Amino acid sequence: MNVNVRKDALAGAARGIVRGGETLKQHRDRLMDATKSSGHYAGLKGLELRDTQPILYNKLFSRLRAGVVDARETAKKIAASPIVEQEGELCFTLYNAAGDSILTSTGIIIHVGTMGAAIKYMIENGWEQNPGVADKDIFCNNDALIGNVHPCDIHTIVPIFWEGELIGWVGGVTHVIDTGSVGPGSMSTGQVQRFGDGYSITCRKIGANDTLFRDWLHESQRMVRTTRYWVLDERTRVAGCHMIRKLVEEVIAEEGIENYWKFAYEAVEHGRQGLQNRIKAMTIPGKYRQVGFVDVPYDHPDVRVPSDFAKVNTIMHTPSEITIRGDGTWRLDFDGSSRWGWHTYNAHAVSFTSGIWVMMTQTLIPSEMINDGAAYGTEFRLPKGTWMNPDDRRVAFSYAWHFLVSSWTSLWRGLSRSYFGRGYLEEVNSGNANTSNWLQGGGFNQYDEIHAVNSFESAAEGTGASAVKDGLDHAAAIWNPEGDMGDMEIWELAEPLVYLGRKIKTNSAGYGKYRGGCGFESLRMVWNAKDWTMFFMGNGHITSDWGLMGGYPAASGYRFAAHKTNIKALIEEGKPLPLGGDTDPENPEWDGLLPAAQIKRDKQAITTEEMFADYDLYLNYLRGGPGFGDPLDRETARIQEDLDGGYLLPRFAERVYGVVLQHEGGRHVIDEDATVARRLEIRKERLAKSEPVSDWLAREREKIVAKQAETQVQQMFAASFKLSPKFLGDFKTFWKLPADWDLREEDLDIPSYGANYSMDVSELPDVTTVKFVDE
Amino acid sequence: MNVHNKDVPARNVQVLGIDAGGTMTDTFFVDADGDFVVGKAQSTPQNEAIGLINSSVDGLAAWGISLDDALKQLQTGVYSGTAMLNRVVQRKGLKCGLIVNQGLEDFHRMGRAIQAYLGYAYEDRIHLNTHRYDPPLVPRHLTRGVVERVDMFGTVVIPLREESALKAAQELIDQDVEGIVISLLHSYRNPAHERRVRDIVLEAVKKSGKNIPVFASADYYPVRKETHRTNTTILEGYAAEPSRQTLKKISDSFKEHGTKFDFRVMATHGGTISWKAKELARTIVSGPIGGVIGAKYLGEVLGYKNIACSDIGGTSFDVALITQGELTIKNDPDMARLVLSLPLVAMDSVGAGAGSFIRLDPYTKAIKLGPDSAGYRVGVCWADSGIETVSISDCHVVLGYLNPDNFLGGAIKLDRDRAVAAIKAQVADPLGLSVEDAAAGVIELLDSDLRDYLRSMISGKGYSPASFVCFSYGGAGPVHTYGYTEGLGFEDVIVPAWAAGFSAFGCAAADFEYRYDKSLDINLPPDAPDSDREAASKTLQQAWEELRENVLEEFRLNGYAADQVTLTPGFRMQYRGQLNDLEIESPLPAVATTEDWNQLVDAFNDTYGRVYAASARSPELGYSVTGAIMRGSVPIPKPKIPKEPEHGPTPPEEAFLGTRKFYRKKRWVDAQLYRMEALLPGNRITGPAIIESDATTFVVPDGFETWLDGHRLFHLKEV
Repeated sequence: MNVNVRKDALAGAARGIVRGGETLKQHRDRLMDATKSSGHYAGLKGLELRDTQPILYNKLFSRLRAGVVDARETAKKIAASPIVEQEGELCFTLYNAAGDSILTSTGIIIHVGTMGAAIKYMIENGWEQNPGVADKDIFCNNDALIGNVHPCDIHTIVPIFWEGELIGWVGGVTHVIDTGSVGPGSMSTGQVQRFGDGYSITCRKIGANDTLFRDWLHESQRMVRTTRYWVLDERTRVAGCHMIRKLVEEVIAEEGIENYWKFAYEAVEHGRQGLQNRIKAMTIPGKYRQVGFVDVPYDHPDVRVPSDFAKVNTIMHTPSEITIRGDGTWRLDFDGSSRWGWHTYNAHAVSFTSGIWVMMTQTLIPSEMINDGAAYGTEFRLPKGTWMNPDDRRVAFSYAWHFLVSSWTSLWRGLSRSYFGRGYLEEVNSGNANTSNWLQGGGFNQYDEIHAVNSFESAAEGTGASAVKDGLDHAAAIWNPEGDMGDMEIWELAEPLVYLGRKIKTNSAGYGKYRGGCGFESLRMVWNAKDWTMFFMGNGHITSDWGLMGGYPAASGYRFAAHKTNIKALIEEGKPLPLGGDTDPENPEWDGLLPAAQIKRDKQAITTEEMFADYDLYLNYLRGGPGFGDPLDRETARIQEDLDGGYLLPRFAERVYGVVLQHEGGRHVIDEDATVARRLEIRKERLAKSEPVSDWLAREREKIVAKQAETQVQQMFAASFKLSPKFLGDFKTFWKLPADWDLREEDLDIPSYGANYSMDVSELPDVTTVKFVDE
Repeated sequence: MNVHNKDVPARNVQVLGIDAGGTMTDTFFVDADGDFVVGKAQSTPQNEAIGLINSSVDGLAAWGISLDDALKQLQTGVYSGTAMLNRVVQRKGLKCGLIVNQGLEDFHRMGRAIQAYLGYAYEDRIHLNTHRYDPPLVPRHLTRGVVERVDMFGTVVIPLREESALKAAQELIDQDVEGIVISLLHSYRNPAHERRVRDIVLEAVKKSGKNIPVFASADYYPVRKETHRTNTTILEGYAAEPSRQTLKKISDSFKEHGTKFDFRVMATHGGTISWKAKELARTIVSGPIGGVIGAKYLGEVLGYKNIACSDIGGTSFDVALITQGELTIKNDPDMARLVLSLPLVAMDSVGAGAGSFIRLDPYTKAIKLGPDSAGYRVGVCWADSGIETVSISDCHVVLGYLNPDNFLGGAIKLDRDRAVAAIKAQVADPLGLSVEDAAAGVIELLDSDLRDYLRSMISGKGYSPASFVCFSYGGAGPVHTYGYTEGLGFEDVIVPAWAAGFSAFGCAAADFEYRYDKSLDINLPPDAPDSDREAASKTLQQAWEELRENVLEEFRLNGYAADQVTLTPGFRMQYRGQLNDLEIESPLPAVATTEDWNQLVDAFNDTYGRVYAASARSPELGYSVTGAIMRGSVPIPKPKIPKEPEHGPTPPEEAFLGTRKFYRKKRWVDAQLYRMEALLPGNRITGPAIIESDATTFVVPDGFETWLDGHRLFHLKEV
């Protein structure tokens, strides 16, 4: 059985555009019905082409995949934006007629899912009839309400036709530097509703006959600050899509449409089976529970938002439960997650699930056979109304990543426990870093043009430790494993900010038998800018990753900025300058060099636009990764290397790793014998401090009954309880709370605007949203 | 595989090409008639000269000439070797110190994160836990900072504090470094600070009484991107200086035997340079480039302007393009997992060759070729190899492509039955195919991968295969030639009868050519007035003149006067604001006017539309010239291409070796076997046929025909 075309059944009827005469909607409905009833994608219980012609099947895969990868490599050279050209923030994906991905390039592959969601939205909402889908049309989308991660990821989608019938789609995405939101930069923080997120485009037809419409070109450039980046990014996407369309046409001309058509559906089912087989091979059936948190510290003068109901400090919360079954199927349930909020850290269900899929490709399914099959092989439950499946069309998305990255880091831990149990120690990964800070801002740049900046040095954070080795220093980001921090000389072309420091961030890695990778820090001095602003974006009060099996989380974030520095005079007078790194923030060196400066040094790692002038300073601190195993088990030789290399401050070597240090010629040297004794002592101290878990639980329970907790913690739980009676029930059962115990947002002395009233985009007239998860 | 004329009484040996690999050293002698001979000997890394002499003696023995007699006649010699590359890969270079901006001392040891997965296959690029960094070339404790900053326009932000430079120099000298490298941000734009630091360091070295070479990045590779520039400049001190000593030794020991010239070395830009050249790091590349140069030279002699060069060895498939007689140059390539700023002949590699392992993904059953390979151990078919995973060569043996009794001239015996059993168990049964169909399928898949690769490279340059001649060489190239060229519609497909020695031939044929590059920042809006266009022309001309001096200086070192040097200017251009430029050979020998500028722009727009898409052209943004290029060359003696009289189409009887069963397209046929060396120019062979020599096998399946021309080049055609 295959996805046959229905030439006869539809003869005479009003023909749709899909090969064989179905409409897009009929085609997708048929596939989804068959998927549901059979448990196999499109009902494909057998893979006819693969089984009878495995060589041809492999050839098709290999040729198309190589072509898609090649299109990305070629097209990105058209771009002007360093985040596309240097950081590789782009991706091209090939879809079948129903909008399910067949294969993809590397890059920001989260968009395999989000572009697919856009195609499906067009299918479900009758785009075929109006505005029509024709050969050589060009569509554009960035709508986070229908699946995009955030508005700065711009999709270009081009249908592929063969002999007058639609046989698939190709999508290209780039992360643009500015979308004209309230503040400059692609992931701005000042707005609390999506109306401030900037230009929003819902699957709009922007071109026909392979030519972009003039009204689109004029309007879209007016909507953003950085027009040159915008224009060349669009040309990059269009050129890449057209290269891939041409490739598909050539492949079909040589191998026949019938074979291509079969391949386009079998590949998805093949991907689904591949995931199932990997799960069977790598994991142990059972339930894995974990949780992630991140801070939203908005009750602060440097967070300037328009609405007083948004001025609250909250914590975002995502408990998760992975259920792996014996047959290799699995379910990921995020019951108990926080409600969406008045900030830009909300996410659509598709971006949440697609991102998890990205993570899986880095660890569970790093094969070339990655496509939507994995999505069909994974059951998700994301309760409606949570931050990752909002039920209100006002929510903002521009920095959805803030909590996406902190939620997913917990899944690494769940999977890693399973890998560990199976003996795949090399695959263990304690989690991903919080991929911040984001240096953003804008104004007039060194070329006297209106400009926005968005440094992507954050593509090279520390990675989590495995069970056999340390994490990699300054190496990757969860959203793009091909990380890179880029050359300073390129960033200085793009930003009116000179580097006074780029240094490995001491102590940023999570401690452990195997430590996490360290992040790094860049000290930037404003130079040649006019009317300039910048802001910070990252975690500060909360460590958003965790260590594993005794390992520590990575260090949390903080901010350092200095205004009115007098550095101009220090330069002229030949005096000491702040250079290099903020090596020990508890004992800062720079602050003493700048006695008259206004310094901002605190845990407020999220701010909104703040004015900066030439000679002001901004520290861009890129986070480290979490550690694995008990730090007392770390080999002293490794600790000595960490000390010598500036990865670790001596007092933490003593306090956490239990080593005894001696000073020899300005160097800290480990005293091996004393260390053995000291470590024994620490183990004894640990035992002395310990108590039975039951005692600790009883004491904690009393606090819960008495509601002794910070307001932010109470609000976090109250919001989760309201969305999920099950979560409240489980909580009460676990803590053996009285039946009438409850915790409600209304009872807390902070605004709970949005807690009771919401209206989903699906409630708009004539809108059909596509449901991808169990809600 | 030697090509002889019959009786040549007085041989005049003219050119020596050397390919010094890690295990074997090949020498390639060419005489005045274009005849050549190959010598082989084991490499002697402790003193490369010994291996070279041995290899030469071996080669010349075939001609019955003594070493001293031959070397006295030699006009020129070209060296290429892997010693420098190995030194970098194994981190066995000199102990160098590095001076950078104070505050940025970590950037070299941090590397670029891209270096953690450079050279990885798709699956491993996304598989995070496989990424790893190599150790930095210069450790952090040998890195020092100087206080200064220059911005991207070349404007001084922080004036140089000379005392910091002196302190840095003294500390490094005290640590007994063997070289000091200086690389400051934007020094390509304004080198004043960096050169001042260089002079301070030189002064301090002098005072110390030590002999430590000093390398300032602005003097060597003045191009943007500090990681690339710094890595490359470090290579000068770290890896190239030891090679310079080696090359001097080789040159000297050959001079003792009577040579009268300085050895030249194959360089990344595709020319050869003297071992005395300042920028010696660019000789880090070797072997595979030789074939490309050989193809270019053959093309020049025989009149082919567009050539697709393809080389299959045991582990990889290397492709390079020559368009309009020009090599394609990549400006910020990577090598040995380092990003560099060298002009490198663009050569793309697929990690699939004749020895590649074949596996089925245990989870998806997808067929995987490589990336690892059996290498010299061939495959399961060689009982002594110890290999259990089937390789491409196993498929060849099963299908009758290779003669199991004459592999490497019979040096090792292959066992077909072993290959059959292994393919059955590992590939055929799991896929539900017969052994023949599985093996043929794998070959088809490999050929298809290689074909797509060739096609995408050519279309990526904006061309179609119809305007290209494909050259196929390398030990395993001719086995696959039909497979990866089938259906692409090349103008012609050529297999040189000396395919296995083609790289060494290419080395011997390389030009004596220097190339210098310089970053520029000329920016013109689309509506720039004529005066600005004229000024832009003049800025470019000024840069060309500066580079011209550098090129001429290099030749002066080797005794060539300026009037002997042919100069070719080029430039790099992009639309304003872009980050990638294109290298364009200047349509004009010199520029000065508005009209000249417009001609440069036209040349750029033509190329851009071809490489990307016409729709990607963005003239409304204006233009930037980002770099000036100057190449200079002098004529040198080169090997002659053999030219023999043509005989009839029928091969001589002594060339016919019999028949062998050969499987392709689901059927067994009897392939005619021929001995390559015995075929005569003019002979025409229709497939199925297999033409064997000790070093290579040329497969001509049914549906194909080949004929041998007077240059001993086979032409392969689909019939």
